[in-house]
Amino acid sequence: MVTQPPALDIAGLRFRYPGADADTVQLDALSLGQGEQALLTGASGTGKSTLLQLIAGLMRPAAGTISIAGEDIHAMADAKRDLFRGAKVGMIFQTFNLLQGFSAAENVMMAMMFSDVPRKEHRSRAVDLLRQVGIDTPAREVTQLSVGQQQRVAVARAAAASPIIVLADEPTASLDPDAAAAAMDLIQETCRSIGAALLCTSHDPSMAERFDRREALVPAGAGG
Amino acid sequence: MAMTGATIIKRSLSARLFSTITTVVTVAVAVTLMLTLLSMRDSGRSAFERGTGNMHLLISRDSSPLVSVLNGVFYADPPARPIDAAKLGELQSDYASAFSFFVPTQQGDSYRGLPVLATTREFFTRFSPDPDFNPDDPETIGEPWKVAEGELFDGPFEVVVGARAAAEAGVRLGDVIFLVHGTEVSRKAADREGLLAPHTHKEFEYRVVGVLEPTGSAHDRAVFTDLTSSWIIHAHDRRKAEDPSVTTTTIDDLPAEDALVTGIYGRVATRAGSSVSAAIPAILARLRADQSITVAQPKEQIDTLFEIVGSIDQILIAMAAAVLVSSGIAIMLALYNSMEQRRRQIAIMRVLGSSRRRVFVLVLIESAVIGLLGGAVGVIGALVGSAVVASSLKARVGLVVEPMFDPVLTLAVIGLTVLIGGLAGLAPAAIAYRTPVSRNLRPIG
Repeated sequence: MVTQPPALDIAGLRFRYPGADADTVQLDALSLGQGEQALLTGASGTGKSTLLQLIAGLMRPAAGTISIAGEDIHAMADAKRDLFRGAKVGMIFQTFNLLQGFSAAENVMMAMMFSDVPRKEHRSRAVDLLRQVGIDTPAREVTQLSVGQQQRVAVARAAAASPIIVLADEPTASLDPDAAAAAMDLIQETCRSIGAALLCTSHDPSMAERFDRREALVPAGAGG
Repeated sequence: MAMTGATIIKRSLSARLFSTITTVVTVAVAVTLMLTLLSMRDSGRSAFERGTGNMHLLISRDSSPLVSVLNGVFYADPPARPIDAAKLGELQSDYASAFSFFVPTQQGDSYRGLPVLATTREFFTRFSPDPDFNPDDPETIGEPWKVAEGELFDGPFEVVVGARAAAEAGVRLGDVIFLVHGTEVSRKAADREGLLAPHTHKEFEYRVVGVLEPTGSAHDRAVFTDLTSSWIIHAHDRRKAEDPSVTTTTIDDLPAEDALVTGIYGRVATRAGSSVSAAIPAILARLRADQSITVAQPKEQIDTLFEIVGSIDQILIAMAAAVLVSSGIAIMLALYNSMEQRRRQIAIMRVLGSSRRRVFVLVLIESAVIGLLGGAVGVIGALVGSAVVASSLKARVGLVVEPMFDPVLTLAVIGLTVLIGGLAGLAPAAIAYRTPVSRNLRPIG
């Protein structure tokens, strides 16, 4: 029997912003299995968002390794890491970060530009994904959509390239409780449907009950 | 259709539509100016050379040789000081034997704004707008005048019409027309100086007997008639002014003082196969010794004219190049200013897998595309612009200039705009390359 590598494996991670007195992130170990979902909690300033960007390869750690599906992303050359991120990592942001001036379908297709999804399937896959998250107007420009609809487009985009892992950074922070619950249902269900692991950060205590696994990020130097 | 770099560039350009259009127009203006100048330069010169045709000398009483050529060949203004019959006779007896042709011409009348040139049949049989036509060489490579319809005039009160004149005035073979004493230029002068106003020679009918084929010279806009009838109608004006009871004038009423000409087209006899003669300098020197006439070598005058114009068009081309460089700076500024608003877009693209290098190249291509669009619009502008300039030259000086666009030169200018666009995109592309991702993904506010 072939053992699959974990979706995410972090070891001995250290990161400090230039000019800072102390490390922003100190994480000795964190592992997430394929398809596993975990909530990353912690007070403001504990480096949750920074950790997600380190995992996505958008920032370089001072020490330690981050492997996604067994591949150490910081050992890769820059261009290869960018491509790897496009194909294997999905990201959802608090403010969605959709591309203005582009339609919902184009935002989703943009996430497939650097993936293994055949080009001729991009549009149909984008339309299918949008329909799955409840968007029936794929040609509409994203700024013409409601906040809730924009959140759904962001979820569809994160799932578009069939990533190994989806990183959700405070995805419900700008939503009211009902909308937040609906959004989390959608994010978790979408990740399950594509078999992607989910690492989600949130300040919201009510999120805890949604996840079997919760990881608390403690301030660097607090021994956590 | 999948998302591509082209889609991203297209959206980026349309998102900043006003900025895109203004920068494209800036490039286009420079290209239009440059290509119009380049296309008109060579064709303008050849049009002038075509007009002077196969004559070696032009004799008149104009104020200078250049004015003589502009008036006598390009119909810029009717010559003000005529050569009288005595002088014409003297010149003919002294020089005609050395000349292959010695064709007197007279200007001053017009028809529907078109100049009328009164001359002899030799104008069509010996002189030609084609510089290579040698009337004494049966093997000549040049072409004589060709009649498209009808025939050359063979007597008084018959006219032959140039190709463009026929089209512009709408005259056909067999039409009867009346000439007007004076031209548009002399009409303005008469108004200004209180001189005898131009009037129609309504007592004398002219019949159109021939329409010429186009030659690409200023003569295409002229109406040609014989000298004798021109002398008759002007003698009639004089006689009627002296005695209002005069109703008609014939050749028998024509005294020598009415036999005036305004120019003489001359070609010194040459050997077969040659268009020059060693005798020209000596003849020229003798003629120039006569202070009562102005002698011009049309080709030399055209060369002089183009030496003057040439330095001006070099300045204009340099100015067009400066505008092109300025348009490159405009592209750079437009993209540079847009970078602040595009940092988030670039950060998102990076998150979705786009490399720094790809972002750099996209901005560079976007900049080059602005150059390309400007170049393409500029070519269209140059086609329109040169047509307008050619039309204006035709209307103002009767010069038929056919703008010539060298495909290689045109492509080179477009390539230059793409290059300038690409270079202008370097600084904005470098900003895009260095855009920090994490900082630009944060919530705004």
